[in-house]
Amino acid sequence: MPLVRDLVAQFIQGEGHKVDVSPVDSEAGITEILFRTRGQVFSITTYENDPGSYMVSTAYEVPDWARERTQNADTLERVNEDFPDITFIMAHDGGLFVATAQEEPGSPEAFTRSFWETVSRVREAGASAIERIVDRTESKAAAEKFINSFMLGER
Amino acid sequence: MSDPLSSIEAALDDEGLFFTRDDDEDAYRVAFKSEGDRYFVVSYRDDPNFLMIGSGWALPAEIEILDALDVANVLNVRKKFVKTALWEEERDVLFTVELCVNEPDEVRPNFGRLLDVLRDTAAEFFDELRDEEE
Repeated sequence: MPLVRDLVAQFIQGEGHKVDVSPVDSEAGITEILFRTRGQVFSITTYENDPGSYMVSTAYEVPDWARERTQNADTLERVNEDFPDITFIMAHDGGLFVATAQEEPGSPEAFTRSFWETVSRVREAGASAIERIVDRTESKAAAEKFINSFMLGER
Repeated sequence: MSDPLSSIEAALDDEGLFFTRDDDEDAYRVAFKSEGDRYFVVSYRDDPNFLMIGSGWALPAEIEILDALDVANVLNVRKKFVKTALWEEERDVLFTVELCVNEPDEVRPNFGRLLDVLRDTAAEFFDELRDEEE
């Protein structure tokens, strides 16, 4: 029986992309497969004990000037409303965030059939998030939120 | 001029893509896939300053050739870099970026952008035709 990680890695290679396969937890059969597309590195997590489940992630670096902004977590929450199946996690003291899709296609074959759609969805969500984080008009929105609550006597 | 496609090979390495070389007495050629779609890059030995990056697709049988021509014309007006061409008898559509380069390294930093615009143009072409059908 072929390993799930091998099936997925072979699929990505067959689509033209180099992969880097590294075990996350050998005993539990958890593996991370890294590849690049459109200038962005994506990570696929496979589980030998659960060939129906996968995680597709990609990280976006937050520019230095935007890292200290307090509303970045709020921005990610708002983007999550537009992409409810994508999870965003801030990391490295706000220096980057990771966008992740948890997929339950049921089998490696089903996963590979919808593979590029999933990658595209994660990319679209991540790109939307970084766009909004670096969009300086968001700080105006934050100010309006403050003014609204101030006027309502909440502050 | 040295191998005009050496910078393309480097750019494909940057993008993390496999590629194959298929040179002959007339031309230098590189073939590669990205997200499962096939692309080529060609430069001619008698004109090494000319470089073409492209992808070719078959037109589905249900698509009217005149509808495809209309969409190709619109894209040719609107899109930067990319030329959309139809081979009517073969029912093929070719998306190409044609460049004039002095040094092979000129292309490398822009290769990702050119690949994106090729990919987007093909996607828009077929999306538009699908919309017209519906």
